Amino acid sequence: MFPWVDGFRWTATHIIFLSLFFAAVVIIVATFASAIFRAASDFREHRANEMCWRENFAELPEEERRCRHELAGRVESRICGNAFDCRECANYPNFAAIAANPRSNVGVAYSDQLLYHRGHTWVRPEWDGTFSVGLDEFANHLIGEPDAVELPQPCEEIESDGIAWRMSKNGHEIRVRAPLGGTVISTGGPGAGWYLKVLPHGQPNLRHLLRGPEVQGWLATEVDRLQVQLSAPNCGPCLADGGTLMPELMDAEPKADWDTVLASAFLDS
Amino acid sequence: MSARYGMVIDLDRCTGCGACMVACAAENNVPALPERATARTGLTPMLVRKLSNGKEGAERREAFIPIACMHCEHETPCVMVCPQQAVEVDKSTGIVMQIPQRCLGCRYCMTACPYHARYFNWWDPQWPAGMEKSLNPGVSVRMRGVVEKCNLCHARLHAAQEKAAAAGKKEIELKDYVPACVEACPTGAILFGNLADEKDPVSIAARSTDSFRLLARIGTEPKIHYKTTQAWIRAQADRNPDHSSEAQHG
Amino acid sequence: MAETMLIDRRWIARGAERSSTASFLLWLTPWVLLLGLGIYAAGLCLYYGLNQTNMDNRFAFGMWIFADLGIIAMGAGAFFTGFLVYILKQEDLKPVLNSAVVVGLTCYSGAVAVLMVDVGQPLRAWFTFWYPNTHSMLTEVTFCISCYLLVLILEYIPVLLKNRQLRKIPSFLVFEHQFHKLIPVLAGVGAFLSFFHQGSLGGLYGVLRGRPFAYRQGFAIWPSTFFLFILSAVAVGPSFLMLVVAGAEKVTGRQLVQATVFRKLGFISGVLLAIYVAAKAVDTYIWLNITTPAVGFGPWDYYSYRPFSSAFLFAAMLPLGLLPAVLMILPATARKRGWLLCGATLACTGVLLNRFVLTVQTLALPTLAFDEFLKYTPSWQEVATFGGVIAYGVIVYSLSYRYLPLFEAPKGANKNVSLG
Repeated sequence: MFPWVDGFRWTATHIIFLSLFFAAVVIIVATFASAIFRAASDFREHRANEMCWRENFAELPEEERRCRHELAGRVESRICGNAFDCRECANYPNFAAIAANPRSNVGVAYSDQLLYHRGHTWVRPEWDGTFSVGLDEFANHLIGEPDAVELPQPCEEIESDGIAWRMSKNGHEIRVRAPLGGTVISTGGPGAGWYLKVLPHGQPNLRHLLRGPEVQGWLATEVDRLQVQLSAPNCGPCLADGGTLMPELMDAEPKADWDTVLASAFLDS
Repeated sequence: MSARYGMVIDLDRCTGCGACMVACAAENNVPALPERATARTGLTPMLVRKLSNGKEGAERREAFIPIACMHCEHETPCVMVCPQQAVEVDKSTGIVMQIPQRCLGCRYCMTACPYHARYFNWWDPQWPAGMEKSLNPGVSVRMRGVVEKCNLCHARLHAAQEKAAAAGKKEIELKDYVPACVEACPTGAILFGNLADEKDPVSIAARSTDSFRLLARIGTEPKIHYKTTQAWIRAQADRNPDHSSEAQHG
Repeated sequence: MAETMLIDRRWIARGAERSSTASFLLWLTPWVLLLGLGIYAAGLCLYYGLNQTNMDNRFAFGMWIFADLGIIAMGAGAFFTGFLVYILKQEDLKPVLNSAVVVGLTCYSGAVAVLMVDVGQPLRAWFTFWYPNTHSMLTEVTFCISCYLLVLILEYIPVLLKNRQLRKIPSFLVFEHQFHKLIPVLAGVGAFLSFFHQGSLGGLYGVLRGRPFAYRQGFAIWPSTFFLFILSAVAVGPSFLMLVVAGAEKVTGRQLVQATVFRKLGFISGVLLAIYVAAKAVDTYIWLNITTPAVGFGPWDYYSYRPFSSAFLFAAMLPLGLLPAVLMILPATARKRGWLLCGATLACTGVLLNRFVLTVQTLALPTLAFDEFLKYTPSWQEVATFGGVIAYGVIVYSLSYRYLPLFEAPKGANKNVSLG
């Protein structure tokens, strides 16, 4: 098999045969190694996070990939083809110019002062150039008091659409997506009303965050979907015609399919 | 000059006594097999088989034919198919050498051999207590899971070569190299010699009209020849295309 | 679905319908028991030696070799489907590609496992690599199958990494993304390796000049069985894949792929099968009229023994050769699922028969004029080991179906809408 093997007599057929074999092995190993190197370079050049998010986004059902402009009532129907990254979207200025006409909200509060990420976090610019990040009312009503929260350390980097922090409740692990990227300056928690204070690198582009009337349309869709997901299995989908969303829903209905609800709310697989 | 060791076996002299089989087993350290071994799982590098002309009563004729490795010369089937060169043709002697230490036990050579002269070690070797003292120190014992066959008593060839080297000669004396079966045969039915030497009696006998080889039409060029004056035995050397089917197999 | 029925819900893709954990375990139980029995039987053979089988010096190859050849022919669907999708750009076969990889992986790894028990000294398996004999078809088989098994394992990795929980690990997801882009390279290498080893498996018997029943002339160093085995393998691969997917649909009670995928697999299989039957007819004519008489053998030497009469040859060509080809090609029958699956089953049976004839029947037939026709029945250890391999395949496929996206639904499909 190798030239130095004792007593091995090399013939032309050996050379042809073993060359083909080694060529095949080299190609196979090179393919595998190439994938590893490319993956490593993706991490080094900070492309990995966006790649993971886009892979994840591609696996979301169509219902969960609706364009913000459809939810805002600007267009009739549109599925996002860009992983919710309006910063990259060429059509954004055209759609944003149309006046928003959202559906009326059902029972979840939101603020006009905050910018909202589709993963149910909000962003508030602070006076000192940092941005506060917290969980929106929808998420708070779902989770209530979390059993555990795993926040990043100060000075850690988070990346936009990456995982900002993790929470667990009733045995379910929730990965909360970061609405923007930057360095974590300080951490809060469920009691503080905010979770992270982040200092972005340079001037951040927050075009992908929802604001104003759009948020209403989006939350209405989210609440509708939540009601369908939490409907009892033997009766059809039921929608409330009024009222506010109950707090601590995970404790109120422990037997529901929280796996699906949490994954669809927090844009996870 | 390289030798081509072969045999001519006179079937008119073979009585079927089986001494060659016993001598072979003793020389080659063939182990005793467990009780459940059968004719088809036995280890018999030399095997005497019985032929008959298929007739009954006064017309019946029987003969015995010792079969061992034919040491084929042309595209030796077992050598061609062994995936790891555990069997090689020794160019200086023409002996087809089995190397048990390299054998994987895949048994492809056994399917390739048309003479069924190869045997597999289906069991671990074992001998009745005390019998291990009678083993031949010149022949290595094979482990379970490897194929073995007749090596033309290669250990005896080694001994002859050592003797010749000690006497300062390059070539061995043929009388010093006598395989165990040849030595044991009481009727002298097995002739052993160098087919490459035209004056060797075996070479002469092999070229006579009485001699034939098994399955010669397949073209493996075996170096073990047989000799008989009885036509019905010769008729069974090859598959005869004109032969009707009933007489061969009912 | 009620939450409590699926204890392993977190591992199952979101939105995927799966039966309850309890009924899945119930399904797995008999297969696990069969696998256990197979491992025990194999253990007996490894510990006590091959005297545990009914193989002997005349039947040096027995049920296991026949089973190996059969399994590898069935597993040809893996490389061939990959070839069709990535090299010939037949995109409509994409839904069954992941299934094909799983089938191929289990077929080849199972065959290699059986081979390790079949050889007398499994720890010496690497000797073939150290001292390869390039004249031997078995060397070629060893090299190619080892290499190809590696390819199949690597092709399975991206499927594995798409598991719901595994894909949450960023390095796995990024690696899967990058590796998936290079899969066509692996598919090409796999096709190359498969071409050679499927052929060499046929070459194993075609070169045996000591067994005129198997010996064939051919092209250069390759006997005709080399090419016939490749043809029959690519013909039966899609059929077997179709049967596996249909079986999965039956067991899970769901439609997993469009009916058009089945029709396409059947059509490809049928066409290749028809070509194979034609080639085999030519080969048989040459063999019986030229090759075999030259060494003093004739058809009566092969077909006079019950039950291996010429009916076997006839069966391989017509009811198990041309008939299934016609069933899978003609629109009148191919559009009906029952006929299509019938054709696929007959095709697989025909190829298995061909493998059986070349292994077991070859050894049963006498070569020496004074030899008899021999009989062989496998021992329970041999049957159990082979049963264990089948169980292994079913278990791996079942686990892959439950936890991995074997049949990725088109994006945006509502799970309540049938795919038909």
